[in-house]
Amino acid sequence: MRTKNQKIRDFVLSAISVIVLIALWCAVSTSKPDFFPTPMATIERLVKLFEKPIMKVSIWGHIFASLKRVLFAIGASIIIGVGLGLIMGWNKKVRAAIYPIIMTLRPIPPIAWIPLIILLFGVGEFPKVLLVFIGSVFPILLNTISAVSMVDDMYLKVGKVYKANTWQTLHHIVFPASMPTILAGIKIAISSGWMVVVAAEMLASKSGLGFLITRGRDSYDVALIMVAMILIGIVGAALSIVFSFIERRLCGWMSS
Amino acid sequence: MDEQLGTIKVKLRNISKSFYSRKEVFEAVDNISIDVYENEFLVLLGPGQCGKTVLLNMISGLESPTEGTVQFTDNNATDVGFVFQKTAVFPWKTVMENVELPLELKKEDKTERRKRAQYLIDLVGLNGFENSLPKQLSGGMKQRVGIARAYANNPQVLLMDEPFGALDAQTRYQMEEEVLRIWEQEKRTVIFVTNNIEEAVYLADRVIVLSSCPAKVKEIYNIKLQRPRDYVNQDFLRLREAIEKNTDLAL
Ligand SMILES: Nc1ncnc2c1ncn2[C@@H]1O[C@H](COP(=O)(O)OP(=O)(O)OP(=O)(O)O)[C@@H](O)[C@H]1O
Ligand SMILES: [Mg+2]
Repeated sequence: MRTKNQKIRDFVLSAISVIVLIALWCAVSTSKPDFFPTPMATIERLVKLFEKPIMKVSIWGHIFASLKRVLFAIGASIIIGVGLGLIMGWNKKVRAAIYPIIMTLRPIPPIAWIPLIILLFGVGEFPKVLLVFIGSVFPILLNTISAVSMVDDMYLKVGKVYKANTWQTLHHIVFPASMPTILAGIKIAISSGWMVVVAAEMLASKSGLGFLITRGRDSYDVALIMVAMILIGIVGAALSIVFSFIERRLCGWMSS
Repeated sequence: MDEQLGTIKVKLRNISKSFYSRKEVFEAVDNISIDVYENEFLVLLGPGQCGKTVLLNMISGLESPTEGTVQFTDNNATDVGFVFQKTAVFPWKTVMENVELPLELKKEDKTERRKRAQYLIDLVGLNGFENSLPKQLSGGMKQRVGIARAYANNPQVLLMDEPFGALDAQTRYQMEEEVLRIWEQEKRTVIFVTNNIEEAVYLADRVIVLSSCPAKVKEIYNIKLQRPRDYVNQDFLRLREAIEKNTDLAL
């Protein structure tokens, strides 16, 4: 546990480095404010964004649009990644059958999928969610597979001695034992999903933080680009903090 | 066979177990025949790495012997309880959930199994810790959970694999006393594995001394000392010494 003094110290240190960063930003940007907006200009742009929606969508609406896509995609990734991962980790035959396909699909970056997906599904909501899904399902799937195949044999023996059937073994032993690794996979999936959603929105979209960046580029509104980038960073960090909290709640049984 | 030992619960007949690796055959257990009597406290005493765990695994059905048979007198009653060498208590389940597990797996009615589990938790002295997680418990307490969980399976035979091996001396003495108290209160056939001679003499009705690898029956001692036993009593020490001279244990 951190003591109160340490917490204060850490906070002061973080504050200092943020201030230094902003100072650097000031120093760099004042020479060419049109080309690279100052922190003040960026904040002004942010305030204006709250007052004046873009494409009839408020700033909250854009954040929400991106979040919604990510959450749908992560939800699907969890269902499919964990479900398939449990089966593949548990059953060696299924793993042997599917693993080569997974290993070949995994290195294809989501960006490489974009043309094919646009040709097949157009530019609506579904293709974007699908892209994010592609960008987030693999860490969950692979973590689940390895977690399940590494469950301590001793725990499985307990199940055997007390005559647990397959379903009971999965439910009482394999799944909870794998939980920490699965959650670590979901954490990676959320951050990569958040990156992919922005990329997807930059291609064909009328809402979302990625769209704001494209809009900034098209209208030569560099401050808007900066605002969108900073918001992407802040929301991404917030997502990961929220998830760490959930992680701690779900795996409170782990010895620290 | 000794009359006063009563009815036979489990018969081990000419049990051998070999493990085959790519190049060689490793013999862990060699031709062991043992009769285990109802409600006796049987201690298997043997040096490390001599096949003790393998033997218990075969009795519990976790592994099958390469040769020989394990026969329960009643073929329809072969449930065992297993207290594992490393605490195999599930860290993600509370004490109550751990103890309840064998009953839950048998799909017993929820209120019934709660009642039974609570009784066993009280029996092993963990009253008040029902909702604790294993990480909040000491090593001795975790083994108490393991014992309660083993009892929850309503076992015909209770197998204990060096349950106190990882505990400090103080806790170990205390747990030895406890396990006898629990056994007096809920009589079962116990097969208890250890490599500690003092522990064996303190606990056992019978001590079966196993040789080092592969495990063979070396000698059987009937321990007739009155309980509760005294570690420094003359007879106790004499027995202990006799066994000591007759083991392959490195001391
Ligand atoms: N599944 C297995 N495959 C190959 N060898 C095994 C297997 N299980 C056990 N052995 C070997 O059999 C021997 C006896 O193992 P066992 O675990 O029964 O020893 P033990 O008497 O319980 O030892 P300890 O006192 O350390 O618990 C060991 O040398 C071990 O390596
Ligand atoms: Mg062992």
